[in-house]
This record gives sequence, structure tokens and C-alpha cells, in this order.
Amino acid sequence: MVALHEAPSPRNVFTRRDVTHDLVLDCDAVIVGSGAGGAPMAAELAEAGFDVIVLEEGSYYQTRDFTANTSQMVRQLYRDGGATMAIGNPPIMFQEGRAVGGSTVINGGMSWRTPDDILARWREEAGIEDLTAKALEPYYERVERRIHVAPMDEAAIGNDNWLLKKGADAKGWEIVGNLRNQAHCVGSNRCPFGCPTGAKQSALVSYIPRALHYGARVYADVRVSRITFHGKRATGVVAKSANGHHVVVRAKLVVASCGAIHTPALLTRSGVKSRSNLLGGNLSLHPNVKVVAIFDETVTGWQGAHQAFQVREFADAGLGCFAAVNLPPSVVAMSVPHRGAQLGRLMADYDKMVIAGLLCEDTTTGHVKTIGGRPQAFYQLSPHDAANIQRGLELLAEMLFAAGAKRIILPFHHVQELASADDARRVFNKPIPPHGWEVVTVHMMGTARMGSDRLGAVTDAFGFVHDADRLMVADASLFPSPCRVNPMETIMALSTRAAGHLIDNAGRYLS
Amino acid sequence: MTPAYRHSATARAVLRSLVPVICPPDAVALADAIVDHMELTLGTTPGLVRRILPIGFAAYDLGAVPRFGRRAQSLDAARAERYYARWERGPTPVHVEFAHALNQVMSLACYEQPEMMERIGYRVGPWIAEATKKRLTVFADDVRAQEKQILAPDPLRPIAKQEVA
Repeated sequence: MVALHEAPSPRNVFTRRDVTHDLVLDCDAVIVGSGAGGAPMAAELAEAGFDVIVLEEGSYYQTRDFTANTSQMVRQLYRDGGATMAIGNPPIMFQEGRAVGGSTVINGGMSWRTPDDILARWREEAGIEDLTAKALEPYYERVERRIHVAPMDEAAIGNDNWLLKKGADAKGWEIVGNLRNQAHCVGSNRCPFGCPTGAKQSALVSYIPRALHYGARVYADVRVSRITFHGKRATGVVAKSANGHHVVVRAKLVVASCGAIHTPALLTRSGVKSRSNLLGGNLSLHPNVKVVAIFDETVTGWQGAHQAFQVREFADAGLGCFAAVNLPPSVVAMSVPHRGAQLGRLMADYDKMVIAGLLCEDTTTGHVKTIGGRPQAFYQLSPHDAANIQRGLELLAEMLFAAGAKRIILPFHHVQELASADDARRVFNKPIPPHGWEVVTVHMMGTARMGSDRLGAVTDAFGFVHDADRLMVADASLFPSPCRVNPMETIMALSTRAAGHLIDNAGRYLS
Repeated sequence: MTPAYRHSATARAVLRSLVPVICPPDAVALADAIVDHMELTLGTTPGLVRRILPIGFAAYDLGAVPRFGRRAQSLDAARAERYYARWERGPTPVHVEFAHALNQVMSLACYEQPEMMERIGYRVGPWIAEATKKRLTVFADDVRAQEKQILAPDPLRPIAKQEVA
């Protein structure tokens, strides 16, 4: 059987090989970015009969291209090889996908609706009255159907996740089966490097094929330099292909779906100003940290589904979840401060490791500044969030020791190893200066926040930029504040909702 | 893919001298492959980083002269260890971050070597093949149904562009 995504490249996907001269293209809607925001928008508008062009800076890969070569996958699928960083103390490494399908190609596939209390906060902060669970329900349902959100097949759950559950159960803590966009994930545990089995229903294998099926055109390897305007009205984009050809797209509507780091940069490069002064501001990013727990038993954590469970016991306290997240040996080796013989001894126990992380719902914000046309994120972890993360690490360590861990490596540059829960309590009894912490994230949000008040938000409730015409944002930039859970499904639901609004008002926006 | 970054002679020599400091002893024989791999990784970093790197390597190399009387690339194993440890601890955050970054990129390169993965039992290629085969055989009907669903008509709104026009 040849899977859909392994068929020959669709004829309306254009890569650098196909762009052999300068191009001028016309369409109804041009969408910049092909990830969780751009791909659903493209599919919905294309199915409604509109002429859609998607421009993606990264390349077009298919499932067969996703191999066991971790570093090659990182080089191909991650922006700047994953070496992107928000400046602060500590600096926070963040990762963005740069390929057709965007970050959905490299995420873990966790698919959760934004909790009701967060939506209530968004309604209050953003003044968007219909941002309720009930109003979003049909969009969430539609997204969940399309990307096949489902609990894991039990047979695909690996030992690392069972140990996480054992620890949570021993502590009596709430643990839930993860919902993921997968159709019979068989636990290759390669989610962050492109799913090699085709099970993860990323935008690459769901919304993008759908968009193509209904006539959308996807141009890969094309970087948009700016949006063009006639007065306040967006009229298209100017871009350049990877092989140096100019690509001009003339469109009735421009949608920026480049993610919370690059969308504000694109808008700023294009001369867009927001009277709210919030374009590029309000950056939140769910800081997360990981520990390496070493057990006596063989775990073989690389065989089994990525994040089969989430511990939710402390979600109300700002610790969104604890989860087991297996990483290949090379990534573990680069994440720990060990070196030399000490690194060798640690890595000899690779098959006995459970790598577990926690996600912090941050209470402060940073910003994205556009310098020389390129975005640079700045984010200073607040003392409150640092203390919360420290508390979370203590709890995570307690849980892993309850599961039988023999020692735990902490995410600090200076080697910190715990041998027991008592050890954890002792180490975390006093504040640990954040300098030297290893903090990472993949959830950047909020840099073009939506809201009804043009003085307090960059876009309106559907993502239309307040201070421009026919220019939309459809990605996590819209979030008024952190969503506490994995953001992909909400990005898709909001994008679908916005597409519905466009179709309902096509005479105004797409004529 | 041609890397956009090439190690300078100094960078290559410095990195080679650091393999015994950063990598486990059983990786030292793979030093050239590790240094080559680092070139690929560094080639994908932001342009600003790539432009700064040669300065960093030169500073690291020459910084050993006042204390050890020779460049870092020529230090024996014990001195190379002591010199790197000094950078790890300071004297400035720039030194610390540079040493830390070298540790990260070299450790990554080290455990990307097939020999190193094999030694710790990470045989992911065969595992992916097995998992893929299982999905496409055991769950073939469900996989096909999902693929059909992705393309099946399901308009968001009962309206088409023609009606708008």
C-alpha cells in the first residue's frame, strides 16, 4: 500500500526546482506560512472555492524523507538548526519548524482545547465576548476530526511513560492520557524530527493535502520579505525563492501565519504599525525544563509513543503538566552539562533513562524586536516563574523517585545530581539562581494579540490587523495570554473560525 | 547540501584538540568525523553566529598562550582539560557561553556517530522500519479511512465563491 503522503509530489506544490525565473502570481488569498495557522486557513478557503497561494520559507518534505538521522532532520526542519534563542537570564532556547507543515511537523502532536478558565480570561482581557467553549466547539470538533485527535493505542505506550504514570499514581496525582493528532501511532518516538511512519497527522499530511486537493498552490523555499500595500490596504507580498528569483503575489487578502516570532517581524518589515504598541510585545512562551532520571531497569524509552500521559495535578498552580519526552542520545548528550568520561558513563545508561519535563504557564511577557529585518526575542524569566519552575522540578523529582528512579540529573549547567527525594527537598530548599538553567520552549505566543480595542490589541477578534485593511494574522501570535496547554489545536480552531468569518463575508474581504 | 559554514584551519585544530576534553574516551578515535559533523550543525546557525565563530575560535586558541606558552590547539591532554575548565567557569559570561556551546555542539556530534549510537544500544533505524510496517499492515484499513477523510468534501460553510461574485 502506498500511503497518500508518499505519492509523487503533488503537481501544485512548487519547490526551488520549479521556480526557474521571476514570477508574478495572482490569487484571492496569499497565506504566508503553512503550519497550524496557515494550513487550515488554506484548506478551508480552497474548499470554499477561493484561489489560494501558500508561501513557505522551508522546503517540502514527505514522510519518506523523515529518517533516523536526527541532526540531518534538525538541519532540514528547524529554523536556524534549532539554535534560536530568546535573550535573557537565563537565555531560553526555542524551536520553530521551517518546512511545509510548519511546526506541526516537529511538535509532539499534543492536541488540547484551551481550558475554559483561560478562555474566560481571554474574554475579559481582550473584550471578545464570543470566545467561549460553546462558540469554539464546532471549530475544535472540525479540527479534531480533520487531524484525528485521539488517545493513544495502549500497545504503543512505552516504558518511560508507564514509569511516569507509576510515579504519579504513587503520589496520588492526577494524570491523564494524552490526546494527540495521530492515526494509530506505533511509537517510533520521532515526533520532533518528522514522523517517519505517517501516523502523526501534522498539517503536512492533513490540511496541506486537503488544501492542494481543493486547488490551493503551495510554493516552498520562498521567503516573504514584505507585504505590499495600497494605502492601508494589503495588496500582496514580495518574496524571494531560495534560488534567488523574485516572487510577487498580488492578492485580495494577505494572511500572516509565520508564528509568534516571525509574524511581528514580517508586519514590522512591511511598515505596519499598531496603535496599541503591542506588535511584537506580549510574548509568552511556556518555559519548560527537563530532567534525566536514571532507573535500574531497562526502559528503552525511544520505543513508544511520545508523551502518552500528562500529569495535571499542578495545572492550577501554573505548572501546566509534567510529561515523559524521550530524546535521541545526541540530544540528551547536548542537553546535559557532562563531558569527557563523565558523559560517557552517563550515556552508557541511555537505555535506563526517563527524560521528563514540565511546562510553566508564565506570568510575565517578553517581546520580539525586529533588527535588520530579522526578529530577535527578548524574555526575562520572572522571579515568580523561576520559583514556580524550581518548585515544579522538586515535585517532578519526587514523582520520578516514587517511580523508582535511582538518580536524577537536573537542567543546570553546573552538574546537579539528586540521589533521593530528600536530596531534592534539600537542593530546592533555597532559591537557585536561574543563571545556568537549561530552559527551552516550543510554545511562543501573543505577539500580535487579538482584542476588540484597537488601542489594546494588534488585531480584532478574527485576526484582522486593526490598523490595516485586508491583512490578517492566523497563528499563536493572536493569543492574549498563555493558553496553559499545547497551543496547536487552538491555533487551528481559531484559524478555522477566521476562515468561516471570511467565507461569510467574502464580498467584503475576498472580492 | 553544501554547508554555509566551513571550519577555519584554526577552528578545526582547536576542535580536534577538544575532542578528548568533551567527548568520552571511546569517541576520541572518531575525532575527525565529530569535527566534520560540527561543521554541518554550525552551518545552519544564524548568520551572525557564523560570523562570530571564527573570532571565538581565535580567541580560544590564542588565549592559552599567556598561561601555557602555546596555543590551545597544541596543548597536551592535561593542559587542554585545565584550559577548557577555566573557560567553563569564566572569567566572563561570554567565556562561559562559548565553552558551553562548544560542549553542546560537540556532544551532539559525538552521539550522532553511528558507532556511538550502536555502543549504547540505540538502533532506531530498524525500530522505525518495524513500527512503520506494523502501522501499514495491522492498521491498514484505519489508515486508509483517515486518508480518505482528509480529502472528502466537508465545506465549512454552505457558500461558494461563485455565489459571492
